[in-house]
Amino acid sequence: MTATTEKKPPAHAAPRPKGIAALKPHTTTLMVVGGVLTLLGSFLPWATFVLNKGPYPAQATLQNFTAPLASSGFRLHLVLFGIAAIVVALVKRIPARHRIARALGYGTIAVSVINGLWITVEGGGLGAITASEGSVAFGAIVALIGGIVLALASRVGDLEPVPEIGWKFNRWVEWLILLVVIVLLLLLVAAVLTSGGFGATATYAGAVFLSFLAALGGFLGALHAAGLLGWVNALFDRHRGYAVILLLVAALCLPLTSAGTEYWMTVATNIGVYAATAIGLNIVVGLAGLLDLGYVAFLGIGAFVAANLSGAAASAVGIHLPFPLVMVIAAVIAGIFGAIVGSPTLRVRGDYLAIVTLAFGEIFVRSAQNNIGGLTGGSNAIPGIPPVEAFGIGFDQALRIGPVSLPRGVLYYFLIVLLVAFVMAVFANLKYSRLGRAWIAIREDEDAARAMGIRTGPVKILAFLIGAMLAGLAGAIFAHKTATVSYESFRFLESVTLLAAVVLGGMGTIPGAVLGASILFILPEKLREFADYRLLLFGIALVLIMRYRPQGLVPDAHRRAELVEEPEPIDTGGDKPTTREAVAP
Amino acid sequence: MSAPTTTSTVLAASGVTMQFGGLRALNDVSFSLNEGEIIGLIGPNGAGKTTLFNCLTGLYTPTSGTVSFRGEPLPGDPALVTETGVARTFQNIRLFPSMTAEENVLVGRHVRMKQSPLSSLLHGPGFRRSEREARERAAELLEFVGLRRVTDELARNLPYGDQRRLEIARALATEPSVLLLDEPTAGMNAAETENTRQLILKIRETGISVVVIEHDTKFIFTLCDRVLVLVQGELLVEGTPDEVRGDPRVVEAYLGAPPEQVEAQIHEAQEAEEAADHGAPGEKQLGGSS
Amino acid sequence: MSILMSQIVNGLILGSLIGLIALGYTMVYGIIQLINFAHGEVFMVGAYGAVGTATFVLPTAVTTQWWFLLPIMIVIGALVSMVVAILMERFAYRPLRNAPRLAPLITALGVSVALQEAVRVFYPEATAAIPFPSIFIPGALVLPIGDGVPIQYSGILIVVVALVLAFALNTFVEQTRLGRAMRATAQDRDVARLMGINPDRVIVLTFALGGALAGVAGVLYGNFYNFINIDMGFQNGIFAFTAAVLGGIGNIRGAVVGGLAIGLIKSLAGQYLPGGGAYDYVWIFVVLIAVLVFRPQGFFGETERVRA
Repeated sequence: MTATTEKKPPAHAAPRPKGIAALKPHTTTLMVVGGVLTLLGSFLPWATFVLNKGPYPAQATLQNFTAPLASSGFRLHLVLFGIAAIVVALVKRIPARHRIARALGYGTIAVSVINGLWITVEGGGLGAITASEGSVAFGAIVALIGGIVLALASRVGDLEPVPEIGWKFNRWVEWLILLVVIVLLLLLVAAVLTSGGFGATATYAGAVFLSFLAALGGFLGALHAAGLLGWVNALFDRHRGYAVILLLVAALCLPLTSAGTEYWMTVATNIGVYAATAIGLNIVVGLAGLLDLGYVAFLGIGAFVAANLSGAAASAVGIHLPFPLVMVIAAVIAGIFGAIVGSPTLRVRGDYLAIVTLAFGEIFVRSAQNNIGGLTGGSNAIPGIPPVEAFGIGFDQALRIGPVSLPRGVLYYFLIVLLVAFVMAVFANLKYSRLGRAWIAIREDEDAARAMGIRTGPVKILAFLIGAMLAGLAGAIFAHKTATVSYESFRFLESVTLLAAVVLGGMGTIPGAVLGASILFILPEKLREFADYRLLLFGIALVLIMRYRPQGLVPDAHRRAELVEEPEPIDTGGDKPTTREAVAP
Repeated sequence: MSAPTTTSTVLAASGVTMQFGGLRALNDVSFSLNEGEIIGLIGPNGAGKTTLFNCLTGLYTPTSGTVSFRGEPLPGDPALVTETGVARTFQNIRLFPSMTAEENVLVGRHVRMKQSPLSSLLHGPGFRRSEREARERAAELLEFVGLRRVTDELARNLPYGDQRRLEIARALATEPSVLLLDEPTAGMNAAETENTRQLILKIRETGISVVVIEHDTKFIFTLCDRVLVLVQGELLVEGTPDEVRGDPRVVEAYLGAPPEQVEAQIHEAQEAEEAADHGAPGEKQLGGSS
Repeated sequence: MSILMSQIVNGLILGSLIGLIALGYTMVYGIIQLINFAHGEVFMVGAYGAVGTATFVLPTAVTTQWWFLLPIMIVIGALVSMVVAILMERFAYRPLRNAPRLAPLITALGVSVALQEAVRVFYPEATAAIPFPSIFIPGALVLPIGDGVPIQYSGILIVVVALVLAFALNTFVEQTRLGRAMRATAQDRDVARLMGINPDRVIVLTFALGGALAGVAGVLYGNFYNFINIDMGFQNGIFAFTAAVLGGIGNIRGAVVGGLAIGLIKSLAGQYLPGGGAYDYVWIFVVLIAVLVFRPQGFFGETERVRA
């Protein structure tokens, strides 16, 4: 800044703005143009012919002949984006207009690229989305340009900070709002799960699902930009107890929605198992900062303990204990192993600790593969684990309560929802306690933590112990649900996946671990066309996340500041503890 | 200012020697700290001042010699030393950067809080009471050091002077009888330094004995009851500020030594500390601040 | 007696291979304190690159002569691995040079999974083990001990090549200008920069050298075992990491000695310890844990830490 105080330099002295900055006076026009193009794109045909595997969803091919204005599926999403963009462009009172336009633009780009690519690949070339045999289908291209123009407009204009909305209402009104939000959330989850269907009949499930996710991302991004998500978040904080109960009830209501089929109950139960395990891992990695690369072993120990105590014919122990007792035993044994695996933390830190845990994990897998002590069934696994029973009902049965009939697997789903809720409560309560603060202090600076009187050894082992117990609980349910427990479910790659779920979701947060586990376990279900590429994409995704969004999707309020780009922190006067450690005696 | 006339010794070092490989960072250092006393520890860069602090707080185990607290030998573990009643700050501020100011102080309450893992899990009435008490105490301490207004700020976002004071508040939260301050005014301007001086005097009024490492001799001479001069790991002079200021050995060895000689001392001592700092290669922290 | 001897021979052969891979680990860790998990996959990729060239590119006439094929395969394996290692450094690790330590480690895991899967998906029939052509004198030298202890010629090749390359690397690091630049960068990157050394270039060089050695190891591995599969990278990578730690990470001679020790432990434990061959991996992991816990500086790491 120069020392002059005049606000505007004389016009002739101002350097001509270069590149896209020259468009600055026209941002509103750009936004309107982008919105109109998006709308236009949604009404144009998207494919020149019916694809080999059947017509592309949302009447992409034929719509302009039969019902030019009846939009559905991704075309409807684009219509909404287009209208929203035009509204945002014209109503200047809306705060953070450019930020909203950016989210809308990115959403439009993602939706048009996903659908356009799919049609190109499945339909056999660019002709499918441009012109072929006399028909034209520029929908994808027009919408893509619309999205790019929107994003460009937001880039040219100044990005405003996310506004903070301070609306406060009567308590009952706020409760009502929360209720509506949570019901919407439930319906949204059901819609995401079931979008595009599944199995052999759902030809374009992957495309529909991804497109839906992209649209949802754009939509939520716009809400966030407008400050509405932050406001809802504040509502949650104000009525935490109420909101938590509502969420739990909503989760238990999922079987009543369109996702209430046996298939989706199974998928949701599997997600729950891994989400619970991931939250346990989050205690070790996210709170205490101890990287564990063999964590899935604790899930395995819980599962094998349960399998051996289930009365399954193939188990060596051959006794049958009641399930609640089995869960306790599984948790205790997993916890003991957790403490053993954690004990090297007394001497080993950082990367080396990660390797130690990896080694323990490998020892577990190798031993299980070799049927150690006859307890794991080796390569034959332990099959035929009977379902959990309570009140004379097998948990694998369908359920009928009055007029409501619930699909098979719903009881396991209820069980796992309760477990996840329990694990979340454990995580949250510990995080905001003396113990949780001690973990975070150790993560931040171990020597300073010791100087504050924290006996770091026992505290770190406790992190491993509690995390392992939670995984052991999940393992017990897992064993009964899948009926067969094999060492193959607990390989190194599973540990990496769990870690990825924690990292993707956001370290140290609960919604993060659940979201991460959900994404990592739904995507393979949805993208069966890419089954072969699953792990390849997974590996690449890990690299990209670390590079572009290391704080994860739901960053911890504390770590957000730490991981997001920002100006250099205040000089703290010398070496940071990470680069040079004092020697522990 | 006059030293309170007390005679009981709180903290005593006798014959503390610290050897790093072939280098002797501390050689036969003995001193004692009386109840309610403020002692200044001065000396050229790398004379072993911080090494002495590390020996006093259990971070290093002295090669020979003992450190005792109210007549009992101090345990060789920093956590237990803190529990016994000796707290410290660090030369390079070592707050928990991603925690708020309040949380940093709450970590300091760790040893004075009773919460079993089970009650942490259940958040029962006992737990809530102890949390409330800890928060009240933290608020008092933040008020005491003048940081109440930044209670919910992340430590890493605080200005430099506030970070130093937060570190002091965090150390005070452990309810120490002895407070060891390692360069509490480094990098501060005159006004901040004066604030810190007042703060330390205020801390002494609460009955806590203080040892301060500082380069700013004016600060030390106006604050302390007694001053120790450490040169090349040896306790060269000990006495009141006036005695030390006039002592020709101090002038020669510390204040007026030919530059090259001082540099050589610095170099040697730094090497010694570095040798000590070379931990095993795995001993690096994970995912911590960077 | 001859069983013991032949197990020792096996151990030394495997150990030389592991040592060769461990050099890459130890150099990279020495310079940027990164456990490059994907290094094992670099070794695997080298083997596949070489066998792919021999199968799909080279004319059959060439592939029948081992003395012609051997050098070609080794060079190709080294080149493929080197390129992969350089790309990996450039696009995965370099952007994270100053990130919290967890980030590069997770990235390394991601690179490892991606490389392994890329080979599985894109290399023809890589879902199962594929045969590796014999590129050296077949048969074995039989030592006249007990019932006779056979030593495969391809095994002798491994030991000789590994020792020669390790020696050459040691000489390079200790006596050339570039080697000094590497050591300076390992000691203190910022000071090295002040001295006019470009740390980025030195780091790339480190990855390239480590990658090339791993590629050579991949080709020798295929030639010795006659089969390669996509899991070979992960397993041997872990062994090599163990070896690097055992020898004192950052120490070139240590890596070789550590490799030999791991080879011997694996073959002798498989023969003599309870559980037999099924548990030989377990014993290596036990050694790994014990070393990390009780002697993390390794057996050559204390007195002089000659970092890469």
